Amino acid sequence: MSTQTETPRDLRIRSRWSPHITTIRYIALFALVCLFLIPVYVLLVTSMKDPSQVSPRQMWELPQSLSLDTFRTVWPRLENGLQNSLVMAVPASIISSFLGAANGFVLSKWRFPGADIVFPLMLFGMFIPYQSIIIPLRQVLADANLTNLLGLALVHIIYGLPITTLIFRSYFASISDEIIDASQVDGAGLLRSFAFVALPIALPAFAVSIIWQFTQAWNDFLFGLVVVTRATDWPATVALNNVAGSQVVPYHEAMAAAVLATIPTLIVYILMGRFFMRGLMAGALKG
Amino acid sequence: MEPVGIRLENVTKRFKGDVLAVDNVNLDIEPGEFMVLVGPSGCGKSTLLRVIAGLEEVSGGRVYLGDEDVTTKLPQHRDVAMVFQSYALYPRMSVRRNMGFGLRMRRTEKAERKRRVEEVADTLGLEHLLERRPGALSGGQRQRVAMGRAIVREPKVFLLDEPLSNLDAKLRVTMRAQLSLLHQRLGITTVYVTHDQVEAMTLGQRVAVLKDGVLQQVDTPTNLFRHPVNLFVAAFIGSPSMNFVQAQVANGSVSFADVTIPLPDDSPLAGSDRQVVLGVRPTGFSISTGNGLPTIKAVPDVVEDLGDERYIHFDIDAPRVDTEATRAAVEAQSIEDILLLPEDKARFTVRLPMDTPVTAGQPVTLAVNPERLHFFDPDTGASL
Amino acid sequence: MYRLRRWGPAILLISPSLLALGLFVYGFLGWNIRVSLSDWTGLRPSYGNVGLENYVRLADDGRFINSVNNVVVFTIVFVGGTLLVGFGLAYLLERPIRGDGFFRAVFLFPMAISLIAVGIIWRWLLNNSTGGQQTGLNRLFSSMGLEFLVNDWFKASQPFAVMAVALAAGWALSGYIMALFLAGMRGVSEDLREAARVDGASERRVFWHVVRPMLLGVLMSAVVILIHISFKTFDLIFAMDPQGRRIEMPAIYMWFTTFDGFNFNRGAAIATLLMVGVSLVIVPYIVYSMRVERRQ
Repeated sequence: MSTQTETPRDLRIRSRWSPHITTIRYIALFALVCLFLIPVYVLLVTSMKDPSQVSPRQMWELPQSLSLDTFRTVWPRLENGLQNSLVMAVPASIISSFLGAANGFVLSKWRFPGADIVFPLMLFGMFIPYQSIIIPLRQVLADANLTNLLGLALVHIIYGLPITTLIFRSYFASISDEIIDASQVDGAGLLRSFAFVALPIALPAFAVSIIWQFTQAWNDFLFGLVVVTRATDWPATVALNNVAGSQVVPYHEAMAAAVLATIPTLIVYILMGRFFMRGLMAGALKG
Repeated sequence: MEPVGIRLENVTKRFKGDVLAVDNVNLDIEPGEFMVLVGPSGCGKSTLLRVIAGLEEVSGGRVYLGDEDVTTKLPQHRDVAMVFQSYALYPRMSVRRNMGFGLRMRRTEKAERKRRVEEVADTLGLEHLLERRPGALSGGQRQRVAMGRAIVREPKVFLLDEPLSNLDAKLRVTMRAQLSLLHQRLGITTVYVTHDQVEAMTLGQRVAVLKDGVLQQVDTPTNLFRHPVNLFVAAFIGSPSMNFVQAQVANGSVSFADVTIPLPDDSPLAGSDRQVVLGVRPTGFSISTGNGLPTIKAVPDVVEDLGDERYIHFDIDAPRVDTEATRAAVEAQSIEDILLLPEDKARFTVRLPMDTPVTAGQPVTLAVNPERLHFFDPDTGASL
Repeated sequence: MYRLRRWGPAILLISPSLLALGLFVYGFLGWNIRVSLSDWTGLRPSYGNVGLENYVRLADDGRFINSVNNVVVFTIVFVGGTLLVGFGLAYLLERPIRGDGFFRAVFLFPMAISLIAVGIIWRWLLNNSTGGQQTGLNRLFSSMGLEFLVNDWFKASQPFAVMAVALAAGWALSGYIMALFLAGMRGVSEDLREAARVDGASERRVFWHVVRPMLLGVLMSAVVILIHISFKTFDLIFAMDPQGRRIEMPAIYMWFTTFDGFNFNRGAAIATLLMVGVSLVIVPYIVYSMRVERRQ
């Protein structure tokens, strides 16, 4: 410990220009943040204004007083959809993740001959435009009396399999093969090796997979539109589009509805953005 | 439990893309024996171990544990225990659960499991670590847990895949001796894979040397050192490595550069007239005292002092021996991999006692012990 | 025997997923192609074979041609713009800066919002009402004296209308591209950068000579992902202006053809073409990714 308590000198190694470059970077970043947040500003300002103050002229003005009246107005029209989405998306993402965990384990640690062909074939399912399967899908679900929430959950489970498999496959690929070898030498077969050794260390992958699948299922619109026939089974996005997707709806109500339908995924994003981001990265494969 | 032997009959393993990892290996390991598989990386030694464990299926041949043919048995049905290079401890389990996992999988009763785990933990000095997770252990502790996990099982056979290579050098030397002691105490048949020939020599009752999937020689460490069957084994075993030079045998003596060494009368080469590769270990030399031994004049350009001994390096005015076997022994693709300064002369390394007065740049006269000469066929590499 | 014992359980464990995906992806793709070759136009399925007639008709369908034109322009503007913005954001955040977590979170958060919500917000921001009803960005521009920026957005004439859609889509996705580039930049080992610094390179030159060449793979991923997202654009348009022909694209035209007009066969033909378009970029991409992975 030094006994002298002079003001510490700046001992950082840096070029002459670096303080200026940092300033420029900050200015650019703040400007971009402002641009990116314009829609959020409008969204929040409009939906929290007292309805009497809402007019196109005042769109960009801050509210004189905060009011939840607009939310109260649109809530009854969205309540059922939000509930449906929750009931559908939570189990769908959990089930899809468990299946993906099993697939990912097999495809990375128990690679049977042909596994290298099966996996890309599964991956392809992640990228297809769903328009190209939607006619048979609707037909099959209609024949099976599944044009309801249950059917929608099933659809999200199945079409979620490629990405959940990918997430878990990459995750398990990053853990040492020797651990799985050790469990086999210790007497565990595939199932016990999966259940006792692989699953307990896969919690981070579950977080990534479940969060990603939840967000996907929640934000999906096309399947909700096509699969579900009864209005009482509509998910939040379809309900939102019905509330807000026409020119006759006052725009403050449209905005408030958008806020309400977005809150669950936003909460997930804010609380667990790290895992969300990893799901995002997984979708880009490798390169 | 009575130890069992391991027998490998014509074992061949071919990987996808036609890579021949293990080529027709026959190996008989005695019950209770400590067998070391050694060779440069990629020689197939780990694959062979994994074949014994059942982690790799064979492409041909048979594997026996004792009298039982286990060739097509899954690892979980062969009674073997394995220690891995990375230790492969289960990250989310405590030391206790790690060690007990094999017993749990084999449905050993809980009380029995507890008793055996604690007994082994006691002998290995792990009793105070039982509730910790592997992440909270030091490298040496993890290594002991991995050993303990294998011992608890009381298996027919121990398989160890470079178990010491992740430890630092000092600890490795201590653990080596401990392993020998443990094997003496338990008497279980052990197969040990390493790329470190010092480990191989110190641990193995017998050592099997592999190169490119082919078994080169299986013998006791002393025999490997004294009577290598070919250039590769000669170059691979021993540190520093054996010195090689292209030489000519004629009229009962061998000559290279301006050196001529008479062969012992009983030498099988005594009557022949041919090209050979001559090998001398660094310990085959001494400072000449004029006692009649043949001599070499050398001008050392590097002198390395190790405290109680010194290595001197010098050029020999004869072509260097650069064959596939000598390169493979030091895991070099080409000669450029081992030479910082390109030279085409043979270089010798000689070990001398510390009190020998040598200085870099000053000529010395070295005596060569003719009994310590090795001869190899320049084409086949076989010992002559 | 060894093989069956070893691999049997593995195949059994993933077979439910394989069967489900086999049917729901490949089975349905085949079925869809079958529908595209049929005369199914009513509510009841009908599979009379009409060969390629539906495809031939599409070639004469002005609305379809229009939607293809739109998606082409949209793809160019959206992919180019999003790449530029995403790369710029990543470049600004490449070296550690205080608060970079916050910046990243702000740029990325639109990815967490449904495209329906995004569409609704931007429909109002890009509203082209005039006079007292003027609102959104146009009103902002007027009040700031930037009248020359006021325009009709997605109600503008072609090909400008789709550019307004690209603006909204770019807002939603440039954070994603930023994250991809950032991951690529962070993946360049510090050793390499240090070697270049010791060799006398300034930070800018370190980026240019060391980091940039290693971003080629990321760039390719980003382009492929953006193109395939662009081909599939549906929700955004559905929320912004579903009836607007100026921004109609094949994915949404397929929906109207099929579920509004009950021309299942023609809808299936559009869907098949869409599939082919996406496959053209995605299949080589998957093959390439697998090859890269095997090499590692």
